[in-house]
Amino acid sequence: MNKTVTFVSLLLVSVLIITVQSTLLSPRSAGLLFPDLNLIFIVFLAVYSETKGSFLLAAGNGYMMDVLSGNLPGTFTISRLSAYMLVRTSSNHVYLKKSLVLGLVIFLSTIFTWTFILTIIRIKSDAGFQFSFGDIILQGLVNSVVGVPLFWAAGRIHARFQK
Amino acid sequence: MGFFKRRTILIVLVLFFIAIQLFSLDLREKNSQNPLSKLVLSITYYPQMAVSTVTDKAVGAWRDYIDLMHVNEENKRLREELNALRQEKFESAEIKAQNARLKKLLDFKDVSLYPVVSANVIGASPSILRSQVVIVDKGGADGITEGMPVASYDGIVGRILLAGDKSSEVLLITDPVSAVDAYIHRTRARGIVKGVGSGCVMEYIENKSDVSVGDKVISSGKDGFFPKGVIIGTVTDISSNGSFISAGVSPHVDLNSLEEVVIIQKSVNNVVLNE
Repeated sequence: MNKTVTFVSLLLVSVLIITVQSTLLSPRSAGLLFPDLNLIFIVFLAVYSETKGSFLLAAGNGYMMDVLSGNLPGTFTISRLSAYMLVRTSSNHVYLKKSLVLGLVIFLSTIFTWTFILTIIRIKSDAGFQFSFGDIILQGLVNSVVGVPLFWAAGRIHARFQK
Repeated sequence: MGFFKRRTILIVLVLFFIAIQLFSLDLREKNSQNPLSKLVLSITYYPQMAVSTVTDKAVGAWRDYIDLMHVNEENKRLREELNALRQEKFESAEIKAQNARLKKLLDFKDVSLYPVVSANVIGASPSILRSQVVIVDKGGADGITEGMPVASYDGIVGRILLAGDKSSEVLLITDPVSAVDAYIHRTRARGIVKGVGSGCVMEYIENKSDVSVGDKVISSGKDGFFPKGVIIGTVTDISSNGSFISAGVSPHVDLNSLEEVVIIQKSVNNVVLNE
């Protein structure tokens, strides 16, 4: 498929996911057990997408998260871009194609991004956000459980479009 | 660690330090005037409105269905009240409740000293990092600007954090970044109401002040954001720490089921206290 069409499609998916996350699956309504679809999307971009613009998509998705999460200054943009780069670098590993490893990658990506953010918050202790490491572990598990089947379905759709 | 390239680790470390620097910047100065932030709000406005409308209709239809089921059961059991029940089944409890809320909002408009704009909540923060943020369907095109106080007929809700063209973000009073200068209504003891996620806490009340559980907390108007005398909540518990008293405050507005709000078009006079 044309790379521009792939990029635009993934951009639309990104907007769709952020919309769902800020309405139906907002943590205000779904609580801590909500899956972070945006993070799953970024791991998907890092693992599957051959589009060079996927780096921009990951940054754009993080920026939208920043704006809609009370206009945070680059917190999500940078943490998710970092997660994208780490997964992207390791995505040549053959075991990454297995569901169990994928689940582990999503889990570790969740832990990484939140540890990244929490470390910044701890350094700037006056920020006042209240969030425990147990919450992060819980979210990592939820993301893995939701993410693996989503990956499986999205991977198939993506492969079909790539033909 | 073998499969991570050394260069990637270095870039991530650099990004981390950039993130720390960005986080250090003053909240007021960062993105509020950034056209990209407003663009994001504009891009997400229409999908959010669509999802919100569809969800409201689906929930309304489901409630209507439940109501109808209930009416049918009533009809079976109480044949003699058939006519009354037939009338009732066309009345949606949702519409009634909404009418009541809207009426109260109109009453609020009548008594407010400042012009107000009604708005519907169409979304919320997509992150648990700062979940005490909601998105409303009014923005710069309706005269909304950053810092304007947001209320409901029950009291203070929060203030506008970012105004897009058609939608805006509202920072709720339960957010840890929020601060409202306030009085205890009964004794005029002054303090700062801060958010703690699940509720609020009124801090920096002088130790000699008279504060009791059940006291109403109202805005003082001295922070430059919120008008004077609007109810914030009720004192639920009191603790003393050093020379100050802290009081737990339960917000008067049920922020978890927020649907309609009014944005008070009051210009910001001063800087908010803890930013």
